[in-house]
Amino acid sequence: MLGLQVIINGILSGGLYAVVAIGFSLIWGVMNLINLAHGSMIILGAYITYLITDKTGLDPFLTLPVSGLILFSVGFLTQKFLINRIIQASVFMTLILTFGLDLLFINMNLSLFTADLRSITTSYAGLGWKFGDLAIPYTRSGVFVFALILTLGLFLFMERTRLGKAIKATSFDREAAGLVGVNVSRVYALTFGLGAGMAGMAGSLISVVYSFSPVVGATFTMKSFVVVVLGGLGSIPGAIIGGLILGIAENIASVALEAGYKDAISFILLVGILVFRPRGILGKKFYAEVKES
Amino acid sequence: MKKTGLVSLLVVAGGFFLLCPFFLNAYVLRILTNIFMFAVITQALNIIAGYTGYPAFGNVVFFGLGAYGTGIMMVKFQLPFVGSMLVGSLLCVLFTAVFGLPLLRLRGHYFAIATLGLNEATRAVVDNLTNLTGGGMGLSLPLPYGTVQANTRFFYYLLLGTSVLSLLFSAVLIKSRFGFALRTIRSNEESAEGFGINTVRHKILSWMISALLTGMAGCIYAYWMSYIEPSAVFDMTISIKSFVMLLLGGTGTLLGPILGAFFVEGLSLLTWSYLLNYHIGILGILIMAVVIFSPRGFIAFLKDRLLFAGDPFTLKNREPASGRRPER
Repeated sequence: MLGLQVIINGILSGGLYAVVAIGFSLIWGVMNLINLAHGSMIILGAYITYLITDKTGLDPFLTLPVSGLILFSVGFLTQKFLINRIIQASVFMTLILTFGLDLLFINMNLSLFTADLRSITTSYAGLGWKFGDLAIPYTRSGVFVFALILTLGLFLFMERTRLGKAIKATSFDREAAGLVGVNVSRVYALTFGLGAGMAGMAGSLISVVYSFSPVVGATFTMKSFVVVVLGGLGSIPGAIIGGLILGIAENIASVALEAGYKDAISFILLVGILVFRPRGILGKKFYAEVKES
Repeated sequence: MKKTGLVSLLVVAGGFFLLCPFFLNAYVLRILTNIFMFAVITQALNIIAGYTGYPAFGNVVFFGLGAYGTGIMMVKFQLPFVGSMLVGSLLCVLFTAVFGLPLLRLRGHYFAIATLGLNEATRAVVDNLTNLTGGGMGLSLPLPYGTVQANTRFFYYLLLGTSVLSLLFSAVLIKSRFGFALRTIRSNEESAEGFGINTVRHKILSWMISALLTGMAGCIYAYWMSYIEPSAVFDMTISIKSFVMLLLGGTGTLLGPILGAFFVEGLSLLTWSYLLNYHIGILGILIMAVVIFSPRGFIAFLKDRLLFAGDPFTLKNREPASGRRPER
């Protein structure tokens, strides 16, 4: 029974990891840009939810559109006015730039919300379904369902809409996309906006199940790295698979070994996958990789 | 002519720093010591990332390993500092020997992330080996003997010496056959192999040297601070900071790491002292401003225009620090 409970816990956190990583994966896959400020954007989303529920008593799940929209605008403007200026320079310039952005966000969160650890307690926190020995909390399953909806939504957007197709086209070949009339710098701004919006909504979901402070963002950036490497760059189904593998592996590790080894497992997984299957489990060639080889 | 000018400038600077403890107070000495420590770390990073072209993003793992190697030897085995430092540095070299082969097969982003993962995994293991490392509680090292003043000078000279050592070492390295081989690997690994260079051996050796120097800085740091904890010595910020220093100072140059260390540490010191509540954010804005307005690095810009035009220590055929220039 314990084994089943561990797997269920793993799946529930896996869904959350998928939605945490998906914006990061999109931005990296399309623009060959590693966004080190990703974790701070997630935390910003969490604070937006915290602020709204604290002031109005609204259910945290209902704040998703707000955090998504605010972060979308932040991301769009950041890319348009900042990152687009140096997107063609070397990868390390963009890496350093997003690190600077990360510091700025951390400082902003610190001065707006202080360094205290915050969490949101809903009226149904601690309640859940019981099947014999198995327990499935409402909050965590709610988070899981919303994570799946968001991921599916992004998938449909990328596959079915013209804009989504333009983003995909740009990710495969920037020059060719430009030649057939795609406005590349606008697509880049939209992509970063989408990635940041997903990060913001992921943050709202996190605020329901974890406690957070301005400095814990880096943990989520790291998790995103692992999920993206596991599932493959820029792949949405890959993010789900990567998230589930990470969630289940972590939960098994914290039962089989000491709980502290949870993080070690995820990074051993990361290094192992990189060495033995560098393109991830579902990864295909994206623009970034075509350029590198 | 240029060369002798530069060498005499370096000698004058060296002499100045040798005399510093006689007229500067302990606070300023401590700041300088910290700058020298970062100069060593960045010089080490330059060997693998600048000359060989492998962006070892998680190089801080050697800083942490060196610090813990020294700490454990001194606390659990009562070894003196010099012996512990030897063990700590050797630990880093051994670590590279084990992980270098699988990791150095990766390139670009993937190598960068793998080294990052290596650092986080090592940190987690150190965090959990509580019997040996003290875990999250950290490890307190025996205090150095002598007065506070004497110790301040001791660590000042120790890290000044180490940074000079790493500078001289890099100077010899880049002029040697080995250094030329490393730069060939950076420009094109396939053709390097075609020339008969054993790329695997060269890459591992250059990472070992980088690890050794970073580890030495970690060893000294542990004894200097006399308290270490995993979150402080395996801190990714150290790595990212030294990358910023390297990029600002100029990748693949000899003096770049030192100038970068002075510039970035000086900047963060100014923001610390005048804008305490906003220092992280201001540092972030400054980093972004430098990247946007001067992608080749602030110091490279100064160097071209003012300081060392035609500097013989700069590699003639080096790529611009930013790789490709922006198209717009």
